[in-house]
Amino acid sequence: MDKILDIRGLCKRYPAFALKDVSFSVEKGQIMGFVGRNGAGKTTTLKAMLNLVHPDAGTVKVFGLEFGGHEDEIKRRIGYAVGGMSYYPRRTVGEILAVTRRFYDSWDEAACRHYLEVFRLDEGKRLRELSEGMKVKFALTMALSHRAELLILDEPTSGLDPVSRDELCDIFRQLAAKGVSILFSTHITSDLEKCADAITYIKGGELVASESREAFIERFAAEIGHRPSFEEIMVHLEKEALTL
Amino acid sequence: MKNLLYKERRLAASPLSYFFLAFSLMTFLPGYPILVGSFFVCLGIFYSFQQARECGDVTYSVLLPVRKRDVVTAKYRFVLEIELAAFLLCAVFTALRMRLLGQAAVYAQNPMLNANLCYLGFILLNFALFNLIFLGGFFKTAYKFGVPFLIYTAAGILLVAAAEVLHHLPGLEGLNAPDRVDAPQLAVFGLGLLVFALGTFLSHSASVRRFERLDL
Repeated sequence: MDKILDIRGLCKRYPAFALKDVSFSVEKGQIMGFVGRNGAGKTTTLKAMLNLVHPDAGTVKVFGLEFGGHEDEIKRRIGYAVGGMSYYPRRTVGEILAVTRRFYDSWDEAACRHYLEVFRLDEGKRLRELSEGMKVKFALTMALSHRAELLILDEPTSGLDPVSRDELCDIFRQLAAKGVSILFSTHITSDLEKCADAITYIKGGELVASESREAFIERFAAEIGHRPSFEEIMVHLEKEALTL
Repeated sequence: MKNLLYKERRLAASPLSYFFLAFSLMTFLPGYPILVGSFFVCLGIFYSFQQARECGDVTYSVLLPVRKRDVVTAKYRFVLEIELAAFLLCAVFTALRMRLLGQAAVYAQNPMLNANLCYLGFILLNFALFNLIFLGGFFKTAYKFGVPFLIYTAAGILLVAAAEVLHHLPGLEGLNAPDRVDAPQLAVFGLGLLVFALGTFLSHSASVRRFERLDL
């Protein structure tokens, strides 16, 4: 299958944290859950993919291209959203769309109208008036309107109610069926059960596993003693003894 | 670049950046350190940076299909637009003041700096300080602007003081002529132009370099 995203040997050292030799890839039309506890290195990895953080070592190839010399081309083909964060809170959906669409030759106005309607987004609403779920849907609308082939989503379901989370997972499934690849970070294991095809698990800046959902579950079935849920795997991997 | 500039004006700019252009009218004030007007223009630009930071403008911009260096260049071009507008307004007001009001007693006996070519040169020097200290300082982190603005303010006060003292020095009285242009005025204007061009170029180059290296 086509590798849409390929990360090899990614390293980044901070005073109190280090990302160590992280490698994984995402294929066309695949939904990959990028999992780990808070502070495990998920956001740093995602930022390195977007050239927002400069890795100390390793390579990031998106659509087979490296950022050096292809920065604008790569960014034209990806969409990015962060749960719990929005830009220009006092600006309206319409104002932000009016500016954003100018940057993309591939902007599909009919698709934009379609997603605004499907997601029930009111163009007259200010960003600060949108709920967290609506903000993620707005980010998706912008990404899909310029026909992004890869969605990089940092905790898109955090802060969402269970219905909105379920709705978002349905959206992911439908987009993947259309060939869009999705990499989304999360620590909410129920989201993985619903929509992830593959899992990349990171712990303390190190890769634990990156494989298909079934292979990932099988890997821990023997250790845990039965076919575990994602929550059981996460607890198994992360639980530390606490002494009060 | 055209689209990034459009984004600067539509999403990132504070209306105060435009409203504060009205401080160019201070060019007409007698008995007042009129160079302060150009400081207020810079304060107006500062508000745009403050608003942009609070709105996550830098992160939004770098995720657009543009090169990181273009994000810096667009900010500089926005600032240059405001500075150019302020400079042109001050130049027109200065020409009006010199041609029509140059002989007025309030200007002829003005102990403070009069509006003339020397004043316009000092405006350019002030903008050069802003571009070097504030813009250059901001792009070291792309979010901390308090200290760069404080340092610029201190440097700006010293510049205003220098402008007000210089024309009182023996032999430099011509710098304060309200209705004519002389060689020392031309020299200050030329110096302002040179420092502005060079300072802005160096500041932009350093900012691009720093911003490329930044982890956002």
